[in-house]
Amino acid sequence: MKTLFWLQTGACGGDSLAILSAEAPSFEQLFASCGIELLWHPSLSHAPMKRFDALIENIASGAQKLDILCVEGSVVTAPRGTGLYDSYRGRARMEITRALARRANIVVAMGTCASFGGVHAASPNPADCIGLQFDRETPGGLLPADWRAGSGLPVINIAGCPAHPHAMTQTLEAIAQDLPLALDPLNRPSAFFSTLAHQGCTRNEYHEYDIEDLELGGRACLFYNLGCQGPLTQAVCNSDLWNGVNSKTRAGVPCFGCTAPNFPRETDLFATAKIGDIPLRLPVGVERARYMAYKNLARAAAPARVRNKKMDV
Amino acid sequence: MARVELNVSLNRVEGDLELAVTLDDGVVAEARTIGTMYRGFEQILIGRAPRDALVITPRVCGICGTAHLYSSALALERAWGAVPPPNATRIRNLCLMAEGIQNDLRQTFLFFTPDFCNPRYAAEPWFDEMMAAFEPFRGAIYLETLAVTRKVVQIVAHFGGQWPHSSYMAPGGVTLPADLRRISACRAVLDDAQRWYEQRIIGAPLERWLALDKAEDYFAWLDAPAHAASALGMLSRCVRALGLHRSAAGAKHMLSYGAWRDPATTDADATLLASGFYDGETGAIAPLDQTQINEHVRHSWFRHYEGGRHPWNGETIPNYEPGGDRYTWSKAPRYGDKVVQTGPLAELLIGGDPLIASLNALEGGGAWLRQFARARRIAHEFLHARRMLDQLAADLSGEHFIPPANEADGDGYGLIMAARGALGHWIKIKDGVIEKYQIVTPTAWNASPRDSAGQPGHWEQSLVGVEVRDPDDPVEIGHIIRSHDPCLVCTVHMLDTGRKVHFNA
Repeated sequence: MKTLFWLQTGACGGDSLAILSAEAPSFEQLFASCGIELLWHPSLSHAPMKRFDALIENIASGAQKLDILCVEGSVVTAPRGTGLYDSYRGRARMEITRALARRANIVVAMGTCASFGGVHAASPNPADCIGLQFDRETPGGLLPADWRAGSGLPVINIAGCPAHPHAMTQTLEAIAQDLPLALDPLNRPSAFFSTLAHQGCTRNEYHEYDIEDLELGGRACLFYNLGCQGPLTQAVCNSDLWNGVNSKTRAGVPCFGCTAPNFPRETDLFATAKIGDIPLRLPVGVERARYMAYKNLARAAAPARVRNKKMDV
Repeated sequence: MARVELNVSLNRVEGDLELAVTLDDGVVAEARTIGTMYRGFEQILIGRAPRDALVITPRVCGICGTAHLYSSALALERAWGAVPPPNATRIRNLCLMAEGIQNDLRQTFLFFTPDFCNPRYAAEPWFDEMMAAFEPFRGAIYLETLAVTRKVVQIVAHFGGQWPHSSYMAPGGVTLPADLRRISACRAVLDDAQRWYEQRIIGAPLERWLALDKAEDYFAWLDAPAHAASALGMLSRCVRALGLHRSAAGAKHMLSYGAWRDPATTDADATLLASGFYDGETGAIAPLDQTQINEHVRHSWFRHYEGGRHPWNGETIPNYEPGGDRYTWSKAPRYGDKVVQTGPLAELLIGGDPLIASLNALEGGGAWLRQFARARRIAHEFLHARRMLDQLAADLSGEHFIPPANEADGDGYGLIMAARGALGHWIKIKDGVIEKYQIVTPTAWNASPRDSAGQPGHWEQSLVGVEVRDPDDPVEIGHIIRSHDPCLVCTVHMLDTGRKVHFNA
């Protein structure tokens, strides 16, 4: 059995609630059949808080083994680096996090807040929030860039606001079974960050033919005008549907790029920044000149059913 | 007289809560609520494009993001004079009801009932029964709740793409219309969840349960075997055996912004369950007047001002003053300078549920009635969610989104009954960007500190008189605070310096 301790720092609870939607495996299956013992979860544990106090003391002293530390939420460092804007019984949670991380065999950042700072770190970052081992896209958050957990791994960043339920439970299952875990350059488990949110979007045909919406509420592609980051964002949203049924882009909501270190962008989130007619940021790896030539041809070739937005999404 | 100062921390409250409690001979004489986290959402919104609030504010809270999204969309619509079409309102309502069902089930069976599995109660005659039903990760109802709530939030995902945290409501409507496939899928989810609620939670068909309208009829109902064996039956007997129906009434006055916008009218203030202010002195219900809402900072660490300020004139400027009688970073929201409570009890009492009104008249509010109202509200949520689906099915060609005609600068507000009670967003738009944004959450109302007149907030009042047997495991305080469905992550103003504080009344 591998022990798991879930700590919330500057969080909204969204990752904890998202993980309850996981089905394969479900959160409860992790404990019933995947070999994980839950030491503590702030929303779900029913032992009194003195148990929490004893646990953090015993883990910090080494008396209690800690295999997996999950941290949900931004690391709050204000005011002036003390971390006291987010405290527990007078002690900065930042310090509790550091003490537990020191003893953990594996540390997992659940969600974009714990990974990179997230929404709370958006300008002007009133609580001086950072991630566990990144500060936005810069390595080195609460823990230095060369920091490694007992297993030799850096903090595993399961980015997303919230993190995808299966990215969380399937990673935990892999850890419980000692399976190798490949990470991308942002220390995200590659298995969940090697597809684009765009892949599998039901609006793809509209994107191919460059049939774009100007307003929300339509059926067409949201990339050119409405700020959609789907072609730029590594996430499984459209290949492993949310809640088993849907994704934001399928529902007509632009992808806001919530698995990226710069989420939320500092610009208008529902608008696409452009140079002339062309989006400033093009789909990953695309060459600007070729893309425009292709788009012009594609638009001219669009069948009437697509041009007239007759296809349902 | 033995006077003890006790610092109580509570988990299972969505966020973290610390309470400073004074015990006289084991009985709470005074209580102060202290939030322990500050993130600064309102500051983050300033200067951003107005629609960004649709992305940022759901992230205030992972369990009720739909409610924040809805408040944001309403505030922008009021500022821009946009009117959503009826089908948009139906879809918004449906999603809010699904989020509400999720919340009410999880709050009851994942957060509230685990306290009755405390070893303290091992000798009680009901203990084995409670363990079998409610023990975390083992009890039958606990595990079923995990499975059912996971399905229910699919309804939000069908229209919003995902739950939690999406931005599918926008000024003018919703991003996706209803179609036969979505309606059918949602109806199947709702059918299964309702059947489970009927069989396992209340032990009767929904119609019979909602027709129950008198306190004495409910007590008689509890004797029937099917009802007695239901989760709510077991919980009612247990909680009442502990006397929790007679304790912790808290603030007399109640506030509801009204549940669910009425899709049949363009009047943005019309709701399916009435809004209003319940005067606990007279029992009268007055119409809601949002200009009566203000926030005090007399005992909070914010830049001083006299009395209360309406959110449009509000400000959030930290001003830490240790050693005085300011003891928290929570502001104190008041309605006409009165302390109020909000939540399902207020929603159903003001909204006209006769059983809740009858129980309240007979025994007054308390921890049991608050929790009971939450379980009861699920029935209203099922009933109205089904109506929304039926109306959508009958009007499939209706519009779902009408872009705002103009996006001029202006002021707006959006008032919603979130799962936890009255939620309001107030926005000022200037030069095309957000100039000011103030959020007053349900937990801010319930967890408020003293105000300018020295009146303690609702929780602070409700804890007074509670007997605490074991300061190391103050389960009595857990029962009472958790019956309010507290959400500390929602209480956006809160911040704590980590210093133990003493209130000098």
